[in-house]
Amino acid sequence: MLSQLRFIPLLPLLGAAYLILFGRRHSKRVIHTVATVAVFASCVISLDAFFFGLPQVVREGGIIDAVFPWFAGGDLAVDFTLRMDALSGLLCLVVTFIGTLIHVYSVGYMAHEKDYARFFAYLNLFCGAMLMLVLGDTLPVVFIGWEGVGLASYLLIGFWYQENANASAGKKAFITNRIGDFGFLIGMFLLFRATGTVNIPDILDAAKTGSALTAPLWLGQSVAFWAGLFLFVGAAGKSAQIPLYVWLPDAMAGPTPVSALIHAATMVTAGVYLVARMSAVYMLAPAALAIVAIVGALTAVFAAIIGFAQNDFKKVLAYSTVSQLGFMFVGVGTANFAAGIFHLFTHAFFKAGLFLCAGSVMHAMGGSGDITRMGGLAKRLPWTTRVFQVCWLAISGVPLFSGFFSKDAILDGAFATEVYGHGLAWVGPLVGGLLLLAALGTAFYMSRLYFLVFTGPCRADEHVQQHIHESPASMVFPLVVLAVGAVLAGLAAIPPAIRELFGKHGESTLATWLAPAVGEPMEIAHSAEWRVMGISTVVALVGIGLAYAFYGGGYRQPAHAFVQKMPGFVALARDKFRIDELYAKVLLRPFRLFCNIVFQLVDRILIDKILIGGWTFLADILGRVFRFFQSGDIQRYLAAFAIGAAVVVWIAARPTLPDDVRVKVEGRTVKVDMVDPDASRGALRYSFDFDGDGTPDRSGPTPSATWIYGGVDHHEVTITIEDSRWHTRRILTRTFDLR
Amino acid sequence: MNLATAAPTVLEKIAFFVLAAGVLGGALVTITRKSAVGALIALIATFCASAGLYATLSAHFLAVLQVLVYAGAIMVLFIFAVMIVSHDEEHPIALRGLFVRTAGVLAIGYLFYRTAWLVVRERTSDVLAATAPPPIPDFGNVAAIGRLLFSDFLFPFEAISLLLLAAVVGGVVLARPPQTRNDGGAV
Amino acid sequence: MPGHFYILVSLALFFIGTTGVLMRRNALFVLMSVELQLAAGSLALVAFSRGLGDQRGHVVAFFVMALAAAEAAIGLAIVVSIYRVNRKIDLATIDELRN
Repeated sequence: MLSQLRFIPLLPLLGAAYLILFGRRHSKRVIHTVATVAVFASCVISLDAFFFGLPQVVREGGIIDAVFPWFAGGDLAVDFTLRMDALSGLLCLVVTFIGTLIHVYSVGYMAHEKDYARFFAYLNLFCGAMLMLVLGDTLPVVFIGWEGVGLASYLLIGFWYQENANASAGKKAFITNRIGDFGFLIGMFLLFRATGTVNIPDILDAAKTGSALTAPLWLGQSVAFWAGLFLFVGAAGKSAQIPLYVWLPDAMAGPTPVSALIHAATMVTAGVYLVARMSAVYMLAPAALAIVAIVGALTAVFAAIIGFAQNDFKKVLAYSTVSQLGFMFVGVGTANFAAGIFHLFTHAFFKAGLFLCAGSVMHAMGGSGDITRMGGLAKRLPWTTRVFQVCWLAISGVPLFSGFFSKDAILDGAFATEVYGHGLAWVGPLVGGLLLLAALGTAFYMSRLYFLVFTGPCRADEHVQQHIHESPASMVFPLVVLAVGAVLAGLAAIPPAIRELFGKHGESTLATWLAPAVGEPMEIAHSAEWRVMGISTVVALVGIGLAYAFYGGGYRQPAHAFVQKMPGFVALARDKFRIDELYAKVLLRPFRLFCNIVFQLVDRILIDKILIGGWTFLADILGRVFRFFQSGDIQRYLAAFAIGAAVVVWIAARPTLPDDVRVKVEGRTVKVDMVDPDASRGALRYSFDFDGDGTPDRSGPTPSATWIYGGVDHHEVTITIEDSRWHTRRILTRTFDLR
Repeated sequence: MNLATAAPTVLEKIAFFVLAAGVLGGALVTITRKSAVGALIALIATFCASAGLYATLSAHFLAVLQVLVYAGAIMVLFIFAVMIVSHDEEHPIALRGLFVRTAGVLAIGYLFYRTAWLVVRERTSDVLAATAPPPIPDFGNVAAIGRLLFSDFLFPFEAISLLLLAAVVGGVVLARPPQTRNDGGAV
Repeated sequence: MPGHFYILVSLALFFIGTTGVLMRRNALFVLMSVELQLAAGSLALVAFSRGLGDQRGHVVAFFVMALAAAEAAIGLAIVVSIYRVNRKIDLATIDELRN
């Protein structure tokens, strides 16, 4: 029973709910046990499903759990269904495994935290939402998870909300995410409009077979293009690409385990996952893929440059994450979906490891992350240093570590891709070249980080130095596990060229595994692979070497010289190219102005003065009018009473109109007389219609009329009597036969 | 039923007009006096004349009752009230809201005109043309009214007696002089 | 006398009574005028009763009389109470019901 997919996201969500409601009355031990067990259970179920259930059905679409039919209206039917196929299963493992490790790490890291239950509750909430995102089989379910992780991110970034800066960072993350979410929604709507369903497998089928998605929509581009583009906007928000990356560096205000889990390994990869998931749609729109790849490449380079000049440990890692996410998007953007996911996989291990090392270092330095005041920590933090070294080498792309293989997979695909066709064929090599630059930068800034923090003399204060100590076992254990993963993860997708050497043919294990979900992997010439491997190794070594020259053992002469030669550039990079300030000036200021105008106009004037003040004014006026009549004088009231009665009688005593008619027929002549017209009444007007055509033939104050008919027949005369004074009218008809 | 519609005799006519003049004249005097006592006297005269009118209508019981109850009891009540309440009046008609009240009087006048017009127009109808009461032996008698009172109108009779009880109690309670409590507060 | 004369007298009496109710300043006069109005009503009742030959008009007039007595009693009691509080019964100056 527990092997149903729904428990994978459900258990952490239940854990979160329980801890939110009742967490505070338990001891810390109970709290972290509940939370960790919840995620660990999900991990176990995922492993069980992945290894023992999935392989049999992966070619038919994986394990399905139709939890319940959710809602339907008109043409839309939304079911709450979860599906573990090749892609989502892999992500599931990543999320639950690393999630469990982070939970264990947090036991040590947050040991002195007062709001212990709240933290673990939010962590569980995040895991549950992320799992729902990954396992969702219909876009609305994915969206719930999408929003849920955004919410959890906000809650966790602003965990120490008492500090204004933390709360602001949380808000920034959430709002920027929301902008992306808008794109997600538009993309979903477009897909629904074209295919009539929000069910992911059905949409992918429609992409592969029918022509619904290739129909042109706007500006000559197809539905698939626009849907893909808008979905990418959502992905850019969630995965911190240009222009929506600005929240990620600020998100470092949250506790380090949060940064490790959410902003390195899982939530930020949701965008990449989304593009890979909708691969069939994207394959229909090479232009959209080109945009994805270009944005990813530009982001990778841009973030790397900013990373050179940052002096906060976690900020360097944050920009590194943005940059590496750019790599992943290049991977999926060049239709090399397996490579993008592979890098996601390896990055999760080494980036989480790097972040947890950061936590360890900051823990030792009394909470500070200022690398200008660090140095020489290798001696005092042996375990941390070893883990950092492993992850550093992995991310720099040193051969045989996992990062090497995943980056090369992406580079291979960038140079070899043919998905763009002739017009955009230049995109592939362009992004490839940009990524090489970014890889150089990655190696450089990560090595800078290593050298400044772990080598050379210690630049910290005396009494800070005395407190430097290695972290407790609960923190070191996950570090080591992640380091091992950072090394071994590369085995998941050994490139075909190397596999050749061992006598195994065909594509990498991972690419083959993911094929049912993302399509057949790209065929790349082995010679190209070797070439790229060579170039990237050179790039990595150059980067490390440069960093050693600048920073080996502390700040060295070349570093100082560079800063002196180009102070403007360095300042600009350190200030992250003042993008936030730019946004503030261009976007936020006009928006605030607009809001202010609306406030003044609508709130103050329209609502307060007119809609509310209007009613009070009216009530006041009416009150005054009515009060005028309340004199308190009974005699006046009685007089009014009498006047009213007189008026009623006056109206009721209107004269009645006569209704007695005498008709005298002589041959063809007809004489009509009103009986007893009361001369004392006001003037009455009589109209006689003899020929039945609707218009009166005789009319006037006389109560009688004569008419000569043309034919011998049955005739009818209509008499209308009107009293102009009382506005009353009576209509009489008389019929007669002429002989 | 047979209603006699013989023409009234001269005596009847004189009696009517004298009594009518008394009623209306007394009423006019009542509302135009400055002194309350004078008005009360005129009112008593009005009621007596009115009793006379009842007599000409063969409502003998009612005529007597008019004198006894109205002119007798109610007017005495009024006199007592006038004695308790001394009044100072510069002019009898209030100026406040004079316009509305005059309009009210005119409205009532219009109603009077309308109704009178109707009455005069229908003066030859059966109800209004009778000049003598029907030949019922007990018409207007105490016995006849008493019979009706205790058969058809028993419930209203009892209700009226209850009403009078309430009026008595209410009058006593309302008109009591204020009693001071032990703590000095008024009741 | 034919009945319509009596009705006209009753109408005139009612009119005079109403004029007194609306115009006079002294509360006692207003009550007296109300008595006039009631008397007018009784007169009309009796006149119609004679015209219809129906004794029930007398009975109703009898009730009217009783009512007039009760109402006079209460009205006068109220006037006396007001006088005790306000030291005068001038309707022009009493406006507790104002606004």
